[in-house]
Amino acid sequence: MTKGTTVLLLALAAGFGASAAAADTLRSRLNTDIRSINPGVNRDDSTDGVVLHMVEGLVANSANGTPKPLLAETIETSPDGLTYTFKLRKGVKFHDGSTLTAEDVVWNWRRYMDPKTGWLCTGEYNGANGLKAEIAAPDADTVVFTLNQPSSVFLAGMARSQCGQTAIIARSSVNPDGSFKTPVGTGPFKFGEWRRGEYIRLDRFADYADRGGPADGYVGGKKPLVDAVQFIVIPDDATAKAALMSGKLDILASVSATDAPELRAKPDIAVTSAPTMMFSTILLQTRDPLLSNVKMRQAIAAALDFRQIAQSVTDGLVPANASIVATASRYYSSEQKRGFAYDPAKAARLLKEAGYTGQRIVLMANKNERDTYETAVIAQSMLQAAGLNVDLEIVEWATQLDRYSKGNYQMQSFSYSARYDPALAYSAVIGSKDVRPNRIWDNAEAEDLLRKIVATTKEDERQVLFDKLHELFLDQAPFLMLFNGVEVSAASKRVKGFAASTMPKPRLWEVSVSK
Amino acid sequence: MFRFALTRIGMALPTLLIVAVSVFVLIRLIPGDPAQLMLGDLATPASLADLRARLGLDQSLPVQFGIWIGNVVSGDFGQSISSQQAVLPLILQRFWVSAQIVLVAVLLASCVAVPAGVIAAWKQDSALDLGLVATATLLLSIPTFWLGLLLLLFFGLKLEWLPVVGYVSIAENPWAGILYLVMPILTLFLHEIGVILRMARASTLEVLRLDYITHARAKGLSEGAVLWRHAFKNAFGPTWTLIGLVLGNLLGGIAVVETVFTIPGLGRLLVDAIFARDYPVIQGCMLFVAFTYVLVNLVIDLCYPVFDPRVTAQ
Repeated sequence: MTKGTTVLLLALAAGFGASAAAADTLRSRLNTDIRSINPGVNRDDSTDGVVLHMVEGLVANSANGTPKPLLAETIETSPDGLTYTFKLRKGVKFHDGSTLTAEDVVWNWRRYMDPKTGWLCTGEYNGANGLKAEIAAPDADTVVFTLNQPSSVFLAGMARSQCGQTAIIARSSVNPDGSFKTPVGTGPFKFGEWRRGEYIRLDRFADYADRGGPADGYVGGKKPLVDAVQFIVIPDDATAKAALMSGKLDILASVSATDAPELRAKPDIAVTSAPTMMFSTILLQTRDPLLSNVKMRQAIAAALDFRQIAQSVTDGLVPANASIVATASRYYSSEQKRGFAYDPAKAARLLKEAGYTGQRIVLMANKNERDTYETAVIAQSMLQAAGLNVDLEIVEWATQLDRYSKGNYQMQSFSYSARYDPALAYSAVIGSKDVRPNRIWDNAEAEDLLRKIVATTKEDERQVLFDKLHELFLDQAPFLMLFNGVEVSAASKRVKGFAASTMPKPRLWEVSVSK
Repeated sequence: MFRFALTRIGMALPTLLIVAVSVFVLIRLIPGDPAQLMLGDLATPASLADLRARLGLDQSLPVQFGIWIGNVVSGDFGQSISSQQAVLPLILQRFWVSAQIVLVAVLLASCVAVPAGVIAAWKQDSALDLGLVATATLLLSIPTFWLGLLLLLFFGLKLEWLPVVGYVSIAENPWAGILYLVMPILTLFLHEIGVILRMARASTLEVLRLDYITHARAKGLSEGAVLWRHAFKNAFGPTWTLIGLVLGNLLGGIAVVETVFTIPGLGRLLVDAIFARDYPVIQGCMLFVAFTYVLVNLVIDLCYPVFDPRVTAQ
């Protein structure tokens, strides 16, 4: 070995030493950079996944989608369902050292209701969509919300990650002119450094007020066990896998189900999976001349082998589910398990009755979401085998979303992000297409049932109504619900306490990494 | 020379205007709405209209274009829709990252490929020539994303010599910064060798067949003198032009290499902006890329007289 080579190798080794330092940092992958650090204002799924490590709401979703108190100690609902009284937990600190009070909650709520804030969920509570909520703080530890109408999804709505969990942040989060600065929240990690396009680092919040108990979705124990967590932006899947295998990454979330077997074979890597509440569907445009015929839609349902599609796309990790109620939901009853039977003969009979003579039907999908693409390819093959002349149209995600929003399609392979309360899931699809062209199920009876579900807070009544809605859904087949999503995560075996969960993005509290 | 440069820059203005109009119109012809993408499934007709108004997307296209181009002329490229950062500093920051990789890779590739191309032409049809041409063709044929992944697996995973992901600025930590840039530079270097070598060989071959080369040899000049003094100087023109085009192209974005090596460069910024329909960033990037292209080729043109005295700035 020449002197020069020796010097080079030593220098390289020194370089690794430097980069391998900070073993008390847990490193997780982001496939795209986050959009902002402003909760519920400028967001996407990646953004929520990071921001919800820093901020917390009064309520948050547990692993099975039930909203439970987080910053609240208790929640009392009046018998008429119009008043919600939140008793705050005592001694909860913000990252700037100040203590959470009811006045902080009121300040946050008023900020969210101010259109200038740009909170994405303002319209859910200011009366624009019917529901209006007023807030009051009778004492330093109590907050009272008064609604203009009962709403069984009031808490579930507040807990939504899309709304930034309706996070309660300190006033020091904003500049004197009211513009947002940084999230000074109450979460287990505080904002550290954000290098756009590279990484975002969050530091342990030593004074975190932990509720204790086992980790349970976004509630339960949330202790920060590492000094820092670093979310590294790695757009390419192959590079991300290489990073995990080389030890430059500790956690690789949202792995494709088909990549799981390869990672499972690695001795230093643990792969876990959990069903999520995302829903993968095939949307049918019920205003299309061909698909407006219920027999055509029933024929399409009979021509698809739901079990086979779920098996192939998720590598057998989740079962088929023809219901909008997710399999992980507490409302997933035996009635919800009913679905469409794979019956090509029935499909052929229904096509004949519908007068179908081989007209072309276009099924749209995109390649940005691998599951929806694979679903479309398999479905096309099954539909063609049943005698339907189905063509695939592959577009990129923004184009597909545009066509979805305008209702400008015949069929789409489409996946919805998780809704932890089934009423919120139904709300995303039921409604008048004249008012909102992106609604899928435009039916007065379904709308009426949904209204009743939203108006009642009694669990058993809701269950009966959800079951009725599902029966109607199967009868009309306004679109086809295929299966719920699956979260597959891979992690180095040096990581302790981490496993894939119902939440689509990794939660890094109660997780440690050995040196 | 100065007048020539000014004239060329003046001639670039209509080009930049055409680019500005084309990009502005074309990106809006593609389906997709930034407001819809931002609101996602929480979008209601009212919230959508409100956000579109806040982003200025409710104005007519000519008005939107007028406002944008007016601001650009005064040096304000606007604000990113998705990250809400000022566009020009964002572009400059990302451009610097890409430029480090591109400039070094093209410089190294030129230093290797040009002499190799000249030698291949000099030894035409020999085993050396065939070997060099075959290598160039192979390097040219390998897609950069695959070559990048191979290097990543070999140097990153197998040998564990180089970091697999991440980026450290050379200004912050020169040594770590260099380590992070080695593989992206190597990927581009290998690819561009193929491009430049073939051109250097072809243009040298053409010159070697000319009468004045035969004359130089007949005068008894050494092969080295023939090659360097007579053949290379005359053959370098087309290669130099090609280097300019390659440089212009690569400075406009090396999105694939940046994606594989997680480098926060201009190419990734542009691709992400297209997916997010981030109009101000797309428009700003495209205008900047066009300007860079024009500038690089102007510099290339201005350098011609250095290599070939027959060419003057006049």
